[in-house]
Amino acid sequence: MKNLYLKIVAVIGITSLSVWFIPGADDGVELFFQVIVLVASS
Amino acid sequence: MGFLRKIGILLGWLLLIVSTAVVTAAVKQRSQDGPNRVFAGGPLISGDLYEGLEPDWSFVNNIDTIELQLLDPEESRRIWTASIDGKLYVWSGYMNSTVGKIWKSWPAQAERDGRAIVRVAGVRYERQLIRIEKGDGLESLTSLMQEKYGSSASPASIDAGDLWMFVAGPRSVKESAK
Repeated sequence: MKNLYLKIVAVIGITSLSVWFIPGADDGVELFFQVIVLVASS
Repeated sequence: MGFLRKIGILLGWLLLIVSTAVVTAAVKQRSQDGPNRVFAGGPLISGDLYEGLEPDWSFVNNIDTIELQLLDPEESRRIWTASIDGKLYVWSGYMNSTVGKIWKSWPAQAERDGRAIVRVAGVRYERQLIRIEKGDGLESLTSLMQEKYGSSASPASIDAGDLWMFVAGPRSVKESAK
């Protein structure tokens, strides 16, 4: 179980750092989220 | 059963990654100069501050969105806009829906403190948002909103409180009204 928590923390950490620091990653996430919102609202 | 379990676990990890990425992108945008298409941003910093006579705002009818920042809190968002009789209007819909009540915090914040800055084409304008609670006399505005955005706006939706309409006047309007 402890191993699972560590994996979750690692995934959250790596994802956050990637989106924050990789140029353009946040723009990609924004575009993805925009598509999701558009699909959900149509 | 084992196959379905594996699919479930995979979807769980995917959901965790996607939600973390979305939250991170939203948090990051709060420290930026203005909003992007989806997430709210920080204070509007760049761009000349307009000084001069009150402009004729009808030019915004040719623009899809403008950036709007409140002074308290100092957050900005991209919103729809329209102009009638040279005045600038902004609004928020779905205010009676559960999603609207949870998601849309800026209208209540603007009602408390209407000091705002709008940025249009790289120029910042100091504004005072004043809520209009009665739809009477706003037929031409709501018609324009329907035409421009395919919106279902109507004077009745303003009366019902489902659509919060604000006129973004010059700061001096509020100050001279005191």
